[in-house]
Amino acid sequence: MGTALGRYARIFGCFARNGLVRELGFRVNFVFTVISEILWLGMMLVFVKVIFGYTKNVEGWSGDEYLFLLGTHFLISSLFETFFFGNLQRVSHLIRTGDLDFVLLKPVSTQFLLSLERMDYAALANAPLGLFLCGYAFVQTGASLTAANVVMYALLVCSGVITLYSLMFMFSATSVWLIRQTSASHFWFYLTSCSKYPAEIYKPMVRGVLWFVLTFIFPVLIVANLPASVMVRSFEPFLVVYAVVSAALLLMLSSLVFNWALRWYRSASS
Amino acid sequence: MRKYWQVFKIALADRFVYRTDFFIGTFLRFTPIVTTIALWGAVYRSADREQIGDLRYGEMVSYYLIVMVSRAFGSMPGLASTLAGDIREGNLRKFIIQPLNYVIYHLHLRMAHKLVYFVMAAIPYALVFWWCREFLPGWPPRELWPICIASLMLSFVLGFLVNMAIGLLSFWFLEVTSFLFMFMVSQYFLSGHQFPLTLLPEWLERVVKFLPFAYETFYPVMLLLGKMDINEGLHVIGGQCAWIAVLAVVVTIGWRRGLRRYAAFGG
Repeated sequence: MGTALGRYARIFGCFARNGLVRELGFRVNFVFTVISEILWLGMMLVFVKVIFGYTKNVEGWSGDEYLFLLGTHFLISSLFETFFFGNLQRVSHLIRTGDLDFVLLKPVSTQFLLSLERMDYAALANAPLGLFLCGYAFVQTGASLTAANVVMYALLVCSGVITLYSLMFMFSATSVWLIRQTSASHFWFYLTSCSKYPAEIYKPMVRGVLWFVLTFIFPVLIVANLPASVMVRSFEPFLVVYAVVSAALLLMLSSLVFNWALRWYRSASS
Repeated sequence: MRKYWQVFKIALADRFVYRTDFFIGTFLRFTPIVTTIALWGAVYRSADREQIGDLRYGEMVSYYLIVMVSRAFGSMPGLASTLAGDIREGNLRKFIIQPLNYVIYHLHLRMAHKLVYFVMAAIPYALVFWWCREFLPGWPPRELWPICIASLMLSFVLGFLVNMAIGLLSFWFLEVTSFLFMFMVSQYFLSGHQFPLTLLPEWLERVVKFLPFAYETFYPVMLLLGKMDINEGLHVIGGQCAWIAVLAVVVTIGWRRGLRRYAAFGG
């Protein structure tokens, strides 16, 4: 068990090194990606400024509290994109071209290899941006900082990333049946575009059913909302436990779904 | 002309191959509307206002719905990056040696893509609009129809030319994908896709409304929303034509100059 874990850690170290080498080969690209991310953040801030120019709060979230939520959203997306996004996008390509064969043949876990092979360092630049925004917003709200809060925040950020990963991995696995799936990247964009706003705004819709589904069944709404709430609003013990447990369960489920979907995989080459 | 008809037909057939992906994609594209309805509902409730940026709540939601219609005409997914890829990898050779104009070839491809899109997306669009009917302000007045339709068509041409012009940069810079992303982000905001441009502070609004991006989405949408009269509508058409003329010249000159620099990489 111990040695297996060590072996995977070594392989992951290898991926991380390769990614760095690849990134250093395209330094200008890196700079441009960072600039466009800053641009994106800047435009989002304009949007927030516009909205809070008309109202002091949205469903109880003040402007500063919302900025903290937005910062958390940036942090979580950044981590997800750094480790998983590019890899998961490739899955449907590998299935379509039949190149999944080569991944299946390797003597390590297929899910591990598919999920982590390529690291995207450019996306990692968003993490400090998000943290910086969080820091600024946190000071503005005047909330008090405790060790317990910070630990819980870190834990919830991690489970948020795992939740997003598991959902998207399962979605990618469906390309075994659908073959072409350009929708995968759109899907990710829409998921995040719904989760970067206060979860409460969805409560009036369809008598709360939508909010319920997106909080408990496809728990994308708690991904960024919950860690932000814990820091600048209120602590909801039930939801916190639910977020961590559901992340773990979804991770296991994603593995089951993938292995089950593989039974339908027919290689594409001759 | 017949060769472009063939191009059109082949592209048409190609588009019908992956239908499931298409239907899933079209429905997914509407998911942000749910967020729009929820978010603006909360904002109007919390602000306790009738109007924000000249728009009532229903009009605000309709604005985003009609943006989808306008984008269906004006968006050219992958056009700039296809052109960039063809230049970088030397695939352009294959087109240069054929008696075919690359730009016009792509115009026909895109027309076919759009046609298929309209046919196949009609049902999902109709369903979503029917479902959101309580928000919609109703059809624009009869006399505005020709202007509305013309502005959507022009938005297609404008979108095509803007993306072509950006893609042509590849002749001068080998790696433009990162730049393309920046372009897309700016376009998303400047065209009024993220929020109506009337919400901006006045000085910013004035600058942004002058750019071609506003003519791609914002103006046609305001027109369809019934927020403009015939006179203003004709101004929009005029602005669109002016930008199309400018961009057509840019693309033509850029294409000629670019080809002279073109090195045809690859074996």
